[in-house]
Amino acid sequence: MASTGVGPRETSAFRRNKLDGRDLTPSEREQLIAPYLPAPSNLPPSSRTPSPTRKSKPRRPQPTRRRSRLLRHGLHVLIYALVSFLFSLYFRFRRAWRMVKSKVVALLKYHHRTPEFIQRDTRHLERLPKHLSVILQFYEGEENQGSAGLEGLVNDVGEIAAWAASAGIPFLSVYEKTGKLKNYIQQTHTSISSTLEAYFGPRRTPTLSVRAPHLQSYSPPLTPDSDSNDPKKPPRQHLTVLLLSAEDGRDTLVDLTKTLTEMAQNGALRPEQIDSQLIDSELCDAVSTEPDLLVLFTPEVRLKGYPPWQLRLTEIFHLPDNKGVNYQVFLRALHKYAKVEMRLGR
Amino acid sequence: MADSLHNSRIRKWFASSPPVVWGFRQMRELLIGALKQGPIPQHVAFVMDGNRRFARNHHIETVEGHNLGFESLARILEVCYKTGVKVVTIYAFSIENFKRSKHEVDALMSMAKVKLQQLSEHGALLDRYGASIRVLGQRSLVKADVLEAIDRAVALTAGNKKAILNVCFPYTSRDEITTAVRDTVEEYSRPVGEPLPPLKRPFSETHITQHIRQQMLQSVPEDLAEQHSSRSASPSSSKDTSSAAEHSSATSTAINVSDQDDSYGYSSAFRDPESITAETLTDHMLTAGAPPLDLLVRTSGVQRLSDFMLWQCHEKTSIVFLECLWPEFDLWNFLPVLVEWQWQRKKIQEQERGRGRHGLD
Repeated sequence: MASTGVGPRETSAFRRNKLDGRDLTPSEREQLIAPYLPAPSNLPPSSRTPSPTRKSKPRRPQPTRRRSRLLRHGLHVLIYALVSFLFSLYFRFRRAWRMVKSKVVALLKYHHRTPEFIQRDTRHLERLPKHLSVILQFYEGEENQGSAGLEGLVNDVGEIAAWAASAGIPFLSVYEKTGKLKNYIQQTHTSISSTLEAYFGPRRTPTLSVRAPHLQSYSPPLTPDSDSNDPKKPPRQHLTVLLLSAEDGRDTLVDLTKTLTEMAQNGALRPEQIDSQLIDSELCDAVSTEPDLLVLFTPEVRLKGYPPWQLRLTEIFHLPDNKGVNYQVFLRALHKYAKVEMRLGR
Repeated sequence: MADSLHNSRIRKWFASSPPVVWGFRQMRELLIGALKQGPIPQHVAFVMDGNRRFARNHHIETVEGHNLGFESLARILEVCYKTGVKVVTIYAFSIENFKRSKHEVDALMSMAKVKLQQLSEHGALLDRYGASIRVLGQRSLVKADVLEAIDRAVALTAGNKKAILNVCFPYTSRDEITTAVRDTVEEYSRPVGEPLPPLKRPFSETHITQHIRQQMLQSVPEDLAEQHSSRSASPSSSKDTSSAAEHSSATSTAINVSDQDDSYGYSSAFRDPESITAETLTDHMLTAGAPPLDLLVRTSGVQRLSDFMLWQCHEKTSIVFLECLWPEFDLWNFLPVLVEWQWQRKKIQEQERGRGRHGLD
């Protein structure tokens, strides 16, 4: 506790409100704490009348004081430069190290685009999320090859959907801020189902429905298979993919408020009738339920406008310094969710 | 064994000797001063998680763990305000926490009361930090004596403008959002008592209904039309026959409308719901007026928001989950977080500048 810069005497006084066996009076407490306060000269004059403990000082600071303050400022700038330099070195090394590590792990744990491999990785997990959510990003630039543009985005969605289906997760919601995916819901459906088919093979491909809030669910009629009537075959797995965008967050809540306001103005509803259950059920129907697990593929956690109401108890996972969609993040997220330590080659 | 105990005692003695303590304090001050040179988050929120686990790990009572947590809070507040953070929001007590054991809830409540009372005895010191306290949450769930302590502390510090400490005490974010929605609805469904300049649509509903009625009277057989008008008259009782005429002038004399509102008058007497925006809701949140949340820190390795600051943190806020427990949290854990935030901020600014240049090309 020494690193706090508080002596044992003060600490015990702070905890027990006692010094040398006596109770502290308010003024004694103020004396104790005085050295820890910021210097009054740093602060603008407060609006309240000066307290008796503060002595009136001359307005103009003495030259020596000014010099020492200048010195102090120089020291601060120096230390700031030093600290940020050291940390930026550290961050760069950390990022490089983690990248190497994740490349190695990616080699060790590759899914080979086969559901069995993914099942092997996830079978022993006791707890799987029923509703998985991911945040993806739309890159316009050329520099993010492979995941740039709409094509890259749709590819990523397809891969993630295939992993989720392989792991046995029935519901996947994909958040992408701009809503590009929603505009191409049909193409997204085609792309996801072709990826699923590539993973599962034509006979076992899970059925898929893609939908977005306020839009019709898109699931084309199934072509009846020759062996679908076979009673020995287990029923096919089904995957629902929900596409979300920034307008399903704040804007939807604003829309709900508008509707409620209109109702209240019409006399159809009293404001007291609005409670969190009402809002919850409305948003559940209109947008989505609470996801169990939210996976980010960005190096840091920024939610970028994800629907706030649904995030209440969601487990949020990100791999620090990771950039871009990859299987390892997905797998680690599931492990973290099941509270299983993932040991990789250790 | 005895040797190691001896060693640890020596270490303890050394660490608590005045020059070492002094040295550490100077170092802290230097670091804080240095941090100040870079960008500083304007609004920081903390989820103070891990007090109970800390107590369990160290075999002390849960309440003692909360006390240590409070100390940790004091240290962190010192760091925040000295580096120039404007608003600190802390999750002190969730509405869900009422489900904990009565003993613990009572202890937490009395702790809040005692600390706030102590605080009220030191008005002058609070002036130096220039921090004002605000308590956000469901007041109706707090007992009267605690509420009194809260009100005194809040009133005492209300004049301080330099920094704000938001204490979320019985709080959940869903409750906050619900309250904001409800307040907005209430505000908008209160008839505006003055002649209305904001609503300037070229059409008036009463005019339209009049037209429709006229058309009906012309086209529909006599008895049916009578039936219709009598049916429509029934809800607003007696003076409806004259109401159409009255309403044609209602746009100019909206004051009369307020007491017979629900069937017709709302369009002219209420504010337009379409003018509700996200900002309207933000202004009805408990953190109204505070700068946007820049940084949210949660300790103890739990990676959930747990119903905290949902509305405030879901856009650009940088959310950081730390492994350490809250009572262990100090400048030394917070420093890397702050430096990384500064680093990220710089990168974002660079990116934006780059994008701006691209846009100009």
